[in-house]
Amino acid sequence: MKYGFFPGCSYKGAAGYKESTEAVSRLLGIELVEIQDWNCCGATSYWSTQSIEAYVLPARIMALAEKQGLSEIVNVCNACYSTLRKAQEKLAQDNDLNEKVNLALAEEGLKYTGNLNIRHLMEVIVNDLNADDIKKHIKKDLSGFVVAPYYGCQLNRPWADIDDAHYPVLMDRLIEMVGAKPLKNYSAKTECCGAAHMVAHKDLCMPLNNRIVKDAVSKSAQTICTLCPLCQFNVDASQYKSGLPMVPVIFFTQMMGLAFGLSEKDLKLQKLLTPFKLAV
Amino acid sequence: MMTDSVLRDRFFKKYHGQEIENCIQCGMCSGSCPLAPHMDFGPRQLFAMAREGDMNEVLHANTIWLCVSCYNCVVKCPRGISITDHMYSLKKMATEVGIKPPKMLHLYRSFNAPVEKNGRLTDVMAMAGYGLRHPGAAMANVPLGLKMLSRKRLELKPASVKNIDGFQRVLKKAKELERVS
Ligand code: SF4
Ligand code: SF4
Repeated sequence: MKYGFFPGCSYKGAAGYKESTEAVSRLLGIELVEIQDWNCCGATSYWSTQSIEAYVLPARIMALAEKQGLSEIVNVCNACYSTLRKAQEKLAQDNDLNEKVNLALAEEGLKYTGNLNIRHLMEVIVNDLNADDIKKHIKKDLSGFVVAPYYGCQLNRPWADIDDAHYPVLMDRLIEMVGAKPLKNYSAKTECCGAAHMVAHKDLCMPLNNRIVKDAVSKSAQTICTLCPLCQFNVDASQYKSGLPMVPVIFFTQMMGLAFGLSEKDLKLQKLLTPFKLAV
Repeated sequence: MMTDSVLRDRFFKKYHGQEIENCIQCGMCSGSCPLAPHMDFGPRQLFAMAREGDMNEVLHANTIWLCVSCYNCVVKCPRGISITDHMYSLKKMATEVGIKPPKMLHLYRSFNAPVEKNGRLTDVMAMAGYGLRHPGAAMANVPLGLKMLSRKRLELKPASVKNIDGFQRVLKKAKELERVS
């Protein structure tokens, strides 16, 4: 299966996200075609400061994908995912804005029509593959591995159309499919990690992260599974020197890789700040 | 200084704030907001004030800058109000009227500057810009930064789009359009 791929700025530097995504996609036969010459989507920072540029940035990414003949864009970051979707939604409703955005894009010979599906890789794996396509690659028994599925904010919210807004289960299903145990009563699964506010307002965001970690630890999860580089970073880094009980924070692609028998080294699990140990 | 009524008009018309007339003041937004306890006013109260026209107070409240865009309020609001989008609008309006830039505005600017220049961002670039204005925050992150370095997690080279001329022409045009609108 072939998809357009928007890696976003934080994918490469995220702890093993790239390596595990590539390895797992290869095994599953998912071909991720990188959008050529993509730019930063702008995210919250541009929504908070600019009225037109905030749309031009995501529209350029989508226009480049259209030029490459791609009809779906797969994201690996919640913020990129919601930014592209938000831009797409507003540009479909506002002709005047759409016109302005296209005027700007024309400077580079690009055109945005919006005729694209914006997806997230985790949801693509669960929705587009059969359970058997995934299960047939399992090499390692993870039946004793309890995984806390942490969804963060900008995947199900604000639209809540790919999953339940208050209690999403897509990643829970994925955890089950690879033979591990999703932590069933993980009430912090959609709490906010504080995103970029962690930089300027660390004191206010630490309690948010502590809750996400504590809820997993106290319910005996062995790892927290994430699907966004910023969530992964905050929940992982907040434990550094916190003195509280720690739990490793991995990407869903690393969890899949473990089940598929890839080594911790291949999945770059040594890059996590909270050390990972698979004790099944 | 713009008067409250001019600002209210601007918020309602140019920034589509009129929608908050539908707010029933139920408080679901403030109740579900992760940072509401630290806000001068929760979103419910902020909207009540904006409706009444206390716009200068609204634009000086820390509320808008503490909004983390988690969209918790939006999925809970019984009136379907796009609360987060109004926070974005109010941040832009606050910047327009020239409030003393809060830490988050410095952070956004440190994030936007390398994007404008290179089209892409590395965490190091954004942090470097922010660290210039807030050395305390940068210093506090040094141990973590060193740990990241030891994990080979820091991208020290600035990332860039290839067709940087084209990219910058697009942004320049967008800025022109922004100015006239
Ligand atoms: S949840 Fe919606 S209706 Fe209720 S107070 Fe907030 S904005 Fe108003
Ligand atoms: S989007 Fe902003 S206002 Fe709404 S709950 Fe989240 S932080 Fe609070």
